[in-house]
Amino acid sequence: MRVKSALWTISFAVLASFPAFAGKDNDALIWATATEMDTPDLYYGNQREALITAYAQCDSLLYRDPKTNEYLPLLATSWRWLDDTTLEMELRRGVKFHDGTDFDAQDVADTLNHLAAPDSDMKIRVVVDWIKNVEVVDTHKIRIHTKGPTPAAFEYLSGTSPIYPSGHYQKAPEVPGADGKTRRDWGAVLPVCTGPYKIESYQPGQSLTLVKNPDYFEGSPKGKPTIGKIVYRTIKDTETQVAELVTGGVDWIWGVPPENADMLNTMPNITVVSAPTMRMSFLALDAAGRTGKNPLTDVRVRRAIAHAIDREAIAKNLVGEGAAVQKSLCVPIQFGCETDVVQYEYNPEKAKQLLAEAGYPNGFTVQFYAYRDRPYSEAVINYLRAVGINAELQFLQWRALRPLIVDNKTPIAHLTFGSNGMLDASASTGHYFQFSPDDYARDEEVRDWLAKAEKTMDPAVRKELYSKALKKIADQAYYLPLFIYGRTYAFTSDLDYPLTDDEMAHFYMAKWK
Amino acid sequence: MTYFILKRICVTFLVIAVTSVVAFLLVHLSGDPAAAMAGEGATESDIAAVRQLYGFDRPLIVQYFDWIGRVLQGEFGRSYYLRMDVADVLADHMPVTATLGVLALSFALLLSIPLGVLAALYPNTLIDRIALWLAVAGQALPSFVFALGLMYIFGVYFRLLPISGGATWAHFIMPAIALGYYATPAIMRLTRSGMMDVLQSDHVRTARAYGLAPWRVVVRHGLRHAIIPVVSLAAVQLGFMLGGSIVIETIFSLKGLGYLAWESIQRADIEVIQAILLVIATAYAFLTLLADLLNAVLDPRIRMS
Repeated sequence: MRVKSALWTISFAVLASFPAFAGKDNDALIWATATEMDTPDLYYGNQREALITAYAQCDSLLYRDPKTNEYLPLLATSWRWLDDTTLEMELRRGVKFHDGTDFDAQDVADTLNHLAAPDSDMKIRVVVDWIKNVEVVDTHKIRIHTKGPTPAAFEYLSGTSPIYPSGHYQKAPEVPGADGKTRRDWGAVLPVCTGPYKIESYQPGQSLTLVKNPDYFEGSPKGKPTIGKIVYRTIKDTETQVAELVTGGVDWIWGVPPENADMLNTMPNITVVSAPTMRMSFLALDAAGRTGKNPLTDVRVRRAIAHAIDREAIAKNLVGEGAAVQKSLCVPIQFGCETDVVQYEYNPEKAKQLLAEAGYPNGFTVQFYAYRDRPYSEAVINYLRAVGINAELQFLQWRALRPLIVDNKTPIAHLTFGSNGMLDASASTGHYFQFSPDDYARDEEVRDWLAKAEKTMDPAVRKELYSKALKKIADQAYYLPLFIYGRTYAFTSDLDYPLTDDEMAHFYMAKWK
Repeated sequence: MTYFILKRICVTFLVIAVTSVVAFLLVHLSGDPAAAMAGEGATESDIAAVRQLYGFDRPLIVQYFDWIGRVLQGEFGRSYYLRMDVADVLADHMPVTATLGVLALSFALLLSIPLGVLAALYPNTLIDRIALWLAVAGQALPSFVFALGLMYIFGVYFRLLPISGGATWAHFIMPAIALGYYATPAIMRLTRSGMMDVLQSDHVRTARAYGLAPWRVVVRHGLRHAIIPVVSLAAVQLGFMLGGSIVIETIFSLKGLGYLAWESIQRADIEVIQAILLVIATAYAFLTLLADLLNAVLDPRIRMS
């Protein structure tokens, strides 16, 4: 009896030393991913985790409804273009930052002017590079002066542009830089925002805790938050994530592999769902001959490659739930993404015939570069081998592959791109065909159409320009779209979670059932 | 002796210097760190800005002397990723690895020494076979399989132990067992063979002839001699464990040194990688120096050679 009671005492002591569990009973939604967040400041981070946190913690001037993709008023209540390069916005009154200070026009000007400055060290400059400066008209009215016509301005101002209080970045620490100089580490300042949740604690590389902001303003399209705490944790190993989910240690995970998803699907307390993402997988073919004389400069060879690969089988059987064949070199939910373009059905015989016509009846050998998801690259290589193309896989880390792309050394590169979360074709198609080091097509016509599309304010004209560019890219098989990645989410069945197809977790909209 | 000590110290510093150069070159020549730091969605101008901000556009030799100059002044730099001073990052992660290492070694010693002694006392019996089976299983089973097995049994099925993280002492139980079990076979076998030799030696026979209690003969006169090589082996194992276990730390989501090194390599957090390598290399170099000096004190032939 004494032994038994001692064991109970030890068990109780062990259990009592655990941190509080997740879940409805504790009103704490714990979500885990494999990625360590580099900074919660979205301007200086480049990760989904920072974006998810920013959506819950911060407000931008506009809000893009994740279900309708419509731009709605958030910190700006109304707006109008005074001319092609001046956007005037009325700001919301009565809004407070989490530190208690009032929100006004100076906060918007200081935040955006700091970031738009060339020495702001922002990671992905495209978000603010279009801004020349922000002018304060009165306490609640601003004018954004742009460097040129910027049709994607609303996309940049919704969600990815949180507003901080004036003087926010003055708190940035001075840290050692190169050559004995110092630099300001702007991203080291914890964001102070106006959103539905506020930061309670942050441990770099480990966790971030948000708590409900009870003073969040009425009338926000984001709605009032209902869950008390949202806690982010880094758990690298997928098996560990699954074990934590099953035992109630975490409430929400994503990127669940198919084998784990099948197992989780059998559990009554876990919900498993899949959705497409914004990450596209494609082959960049050296049509321009940047690597020197090679078979890929012949359009028949590029079309042969397109016919050789069973994209449907790869998306469905290998990538799994949520994935879909990519029809055009953009993401379907992006503005301007024309999907009515030439499609190359899986037809190995036709591929062989095209290769023979191009003078390669016995195929050829080519270097095939890849950096992510080796099984998918190997599947593509197997399809190519079946029609006689001996693609030799060179699998590298991104930092090793990137210099090779720049130095004209990749005849075929299996790449992926997430468009930095932007719902505009300028972020996908526009990234690859503007004679930058990423452009292995070097088509002047495509370049000009895309450049014009990025400077034209009329949506109809933009759509037409993107359509022309994407049709030609497909017709010439410059780059071969393969599939859009899917993502499988698993979460506690107690959670009423809004699933969207923008590869985002909108936790501020979640509720306990 | 003075000449010997000076020579060994010079060699130690030479080893550290060469390690620092090799570490620096390996990190810089394995790809473009600016591309990794800027991320996949970055444009060429974004990458160029990163290259300039962190000084990667300078010749490698300039970058090396800039870095080593700061290290010699006690300044390890800053993690561009975690946005913390590298010294603080190491201070955060080292206690986790040290706790795990000490607990794992303690577990390994507590399991393997009694088993080794029992196996030596009852050779070719069921006890010996069980000890042998445990040793073979420890060597043959990949550590991640054992770790996941523990997690399933004690974390998921019985729900007795926390699965991941390092918030409480209970979080270290499964990782310490998983890591320690890996070190068990070598220690157990060494204890067994050492004990078998010692138990047949003259002084043990004499102790038995004096009529001493059997446990006293085994522990005081047998184990005391047999354990000397085990102590050396345990020190080496502890050295490995303090270097961090990437697999165990990753599975149990413990933010230790091994996990930090692996993550830092993935994201090209150069100053952290260099600091970790330098700290570990320095620790090994000084431990080796200490061992050399101790051996020289104990064995005059070494210092005279």
